Amino acid sequence: MKIRVLRQINGDTEPYWETFDYDGDKEISVAGLLDYLNYHDDIVNDKGEKTGRIGWECSCLQGVCGACAMVINEKPSLACETFLKDLNGDEISIRPLRKFPVIHDLIVDRSIIHENLKKANVFIGEYNPKDREKLTLQYNAAKCLKCGLCLEICPNYTSGKSFFGAVFANDCYLVQKRNADKAKDIKETYGKHVGSGCSKALSCMDVCPMKIELIASMSALNR
Amino acid sequence: MMKNVLIIGSGIAGLSCAVRCAGHGLRVMLISPYPSERAQSVMAAGGINAVTKGHEEGDSIESHIEDTLKGGAMLGGRNAVEGMCRQAEDIIRYLESIGTVFTVDENGKPRTRAFGGQSHKRTHFCGASTGKQIISALVMESRRYEAMGLITRKLGMDFYSGLIRDGVCYGALLFNEGTKTLEPVYADAVILATGGQNSLFGKTTGSILCDGYAAGRLFMQGAVLKNLEFIQYHPTTLETSQKRILISEAVRGEGGRLFYPEGGNRIYFMEDKYGPKGNLMTRDVISREIYATGREVFLDISFLDKKLIDSRLPEVRDLCSKYRSIDITREPIPVSPSVHFFMGGLAVHMNHETNIKGLYAIGECASMYHGANRLGGNSLLAAIYSGNVAADDIAKNECRGGVQDFANYIAHEKKELEKLYDTKSAFPVMYMRDMLAETMKNNLGIVRTEKNLKAGIGDVDEYIGTSTHLHYDASVSAYTNYSLLGIMTLARAVLTCAEHRKESRGAHYRSDFKESADELSHATLISYDDGSFTVNLDKGNAYEN
Repeated sequence: MKIRVLRQINGDTEPYWETFDYDGDKEISVAGLLDYLNYHDDIVNDKGEKTGRIGWECSCLQGVCGACAMVINEKPSLACETFLKDLNGDEISIRPLRKFPVIHDLIVDRSIIHENLKKANVFIGEYNPKDREKLTLQYNAAKCLKCGLCLEICPNYTSGKSFFGAVFANDCYLVQKRNADKAKDIKETYGKHVGSGCSKALSCMDVCPMKIELIASMSALNR
Repeated sequence: MMKNVLIIGSGIAGLSCAVRCAGHGLRVMLISPYPSERAQSVMAAGGINAVTKGHEEGDSIESHIEDTLKGGAMLGGRNAVEGMCRQAEDIIRYLESIGTVFTVDENGKPRTRAFGGQSHKRTHFCGASTGKQIISALVMESRRYEAMGLITRKLGMDFYSGLIRDGVCYGALLFNEGTKTLEPVYADAVILATGGQNSLFGKTTGSILCDGYAAGRLFMQGAVLKNLEFIQYHPTTLETSQKRILISEAVRGEGGRLFYPEGGNRIYFMEDKYGPKGNLMTRDVISREIYATGREVFLDISFLDKKLIDSRLPEVRDLCSKYRSIDITREPIPVSPSVHFFMGGLAVHMNHETNIKGLYAIGECASMYHGANRLGGNSLLAAIYSGNVAADDIAKNECRGGVQDFANYIAHEKKELEKLYDTKSAFPVMYMRDMLAETMKNNLGIVRTEKNLKAGIGDVDEYIGTSTHLHYDASVSAYTNYSLLGIMTLARAVLTCAEHRKESRGAHYRSDFKESADELSHATLISYDDGSFTVNLDKGNAYEN
C-alpha cells in the first residue's frame, strides 16, 4: 500500500507530500508504521530515493499522553491507537495538525493550549466545591490529554487568539466545580473565550480520544 | 534574597516539588522537553499507598513501614521510609485539596485495594488513571503559582549537563530545541526529576522519553549512583509492535490464573508450585517462574462472569481488545515479564541531596525508599514525598550565594556539540540504541550470571568506544544524538553493579549465587572517574539506608 506523508523541513519552508511503499503487517498502528518506515532499514520513498526519517512525537504509545496526535486519512487521530486494518483503501494519508505551527514534519507546536489556560488564569485557587455529586464528570474531564484533536476538528477554532475551544472549556469546568467562589468569574472567562464563539458543531466530541463529554462541561458553564 | 530553584522534569515528582517550593516562596524554573501531560506519571494506573483515617482493621503506619522495608529486602532507607509512610495521609489530603478525584464508595469513603506484598488494603486510587488525575490537579495548581510569578515553566528544553565545580552544583546547561543552542541556567539548587531508564532496555511498560541520560551524564560529572542492579520486572505484560503494555495486577486479584499449554492441557504452574494463592505471589517471584517455564504463558480471566469483567476490569478489557484484538471474556491473554521500574538511581542523603552540593534528585531517578524491590502503590507516594523533602530542605537552608564563571566550560561544550554535528560515520544513533537494548535484554534479564554480565560489559564498552564518533543523524533531534554516551555509560554502570552483587536479593537474581548473603545486606554505590567505574557497598551508611 501507499503511505502519503505531508512533510516540512521546518516552519520556514514549504510543505510537500512524500509517498512510501508498505506491504507489511496491517495489525500495526500508524505509530508502529512510522517506526517501521523510519528504522527497519534506510528510509527510501516510493521512487527508491533515500530520504530523511519522518519526524513525529510519542511518549506512552498506549493512548494516554496525546503526543502522537495527527491527521490520518483526513481524521484527527492518535497514531498509536489507529490501526492499519481499520483504515479503508490502499492508500493512507498522514499530515500534521494544521491548526498549529509546524516544527518539523508531523511535529507541531501546541504550546498555545497551555499559554491560553495560563493567560486566562484557569486554576482553582482554594479548593471549595459546592457539591460532590458530579465526580464522574470531573474524573472524565481531568483525563484531557491536551492533545489538540478537538481544536483541529473545530470549525470555530483558528489560531487560538480569541476563541480557545473545547480543551479550554474542559479546564474551566473543573475550576467551576472545584471552587464555588470562582464559579462566576470562570463562567465569564469561558463565555468570552468559548461560549460566545462556539457554533455547537460538537465535532470535538467525535474525535476526543478520552471520550470526554464536552457537552456536559459546556452546558454546566452555560447554565 | 529570594532563592532560585531549577527543576528538571515535570512529571509528578518535579511538578509537585515545584508547587511545594513555590508555596515556600522560592522562585522556581521548571523545565522539560514536553508538557506534563506526556510524562510517564500519567501511565501510573494502580494507586498510591497511605494508611488513612478509617483504614482497614489491623493496619497501621508501622505495617506500611514494615511492608515497604520487607518488600525492599531490607535495603530501603529505614528512616526515610518511616518519614514517607508517616506523611502519606497528609499527601492524600493534599491531593484531595487540589482537586484529585479519588474513587470513593457510596458513603463517600475512599476505596482502597492491596497489591502483592501488602499486609492490608491501603492503596488509594482514582479509577484506573490515578497518575493522570494527580497530574491534572497539579498542572492546575502550578498554573496558580505561574500567575503569581513564582513558577516559570519552559518547554522545549532538554538537559545537557550540570554546571558543577569542586563538588558543588551551580545550575545546569540546557539544550534549547527552538534555538538549537546550549543555554546555562544558574540556580541556588538544582533538582533532578527525570524518571527511570527505559531506553536502556528498548521495549518496556513505560514512556520512551524516560531514558536515564541525565543520571548518566551527572554520573560522568561525579554524582554517585546507587542500587542500579535492582530493576523490577512486571510479570504480566502484553507485547505490541512498539512496547509492552502492562496488564494490571488487578486481573490476578480478581482470580486470574497463569498457565502454559502442554499436550492439550493447561499447566497452572503457579498454583502447582505455591498452592491456590500461587497467582498472587509478588512480582519478582512470578516473573522468575514465568521465565523458568521457558514457554509462552497465558493469563486467563475468561471464566469470570462477563458482567464482572466489564465492571471491574474495563481498562484491561479495552487495552487487550484495542491493541491485540483479544477478547478477555472469551480467551486468555498471552503475557510475559517486562522491565517496569528502577529501584536504583542517584544516591541521595535523607534530604534528597546527592553527593554534589546543591544537586538534589527526587522520584524514580533517585534511589531511596524501595530498596531491592518496590511495592505497588509506593512509587507515586515516593515521587511526591521526595519532592516535599527536597523543597523543605532547600527552603530552610541558607542561600549558598557566590557566583562561578562557567564561560570556558560552556564554550568547550558548544564546541563538542558542533564536533558531533560534523561526524560522518555510516552508523546512526538509533541503531546503536537498539543494539544496547538487545545487549541489556540478553545479559541483564530476570536471571543473571557472571558470564552474561561480563559479556554485556564487553559489548557496552565497545559501544562506548564508538559512540562519540557515530554518524550525526540530523533527522532525529540533537538530544537523541548527544544523549547516547550518557545512556551507554549508565548502562555500563548498571551491568557493573549487577556483576558486583554476588548474591540474589529482591529483584536481583543470580543463578550462580542463588541465596542472599547477610554480609551483602548493604546498598551498592558506584562512582565514575575518567572511564573507570568503582563499586562499593555502603557499609558505613554514607547514604541513608
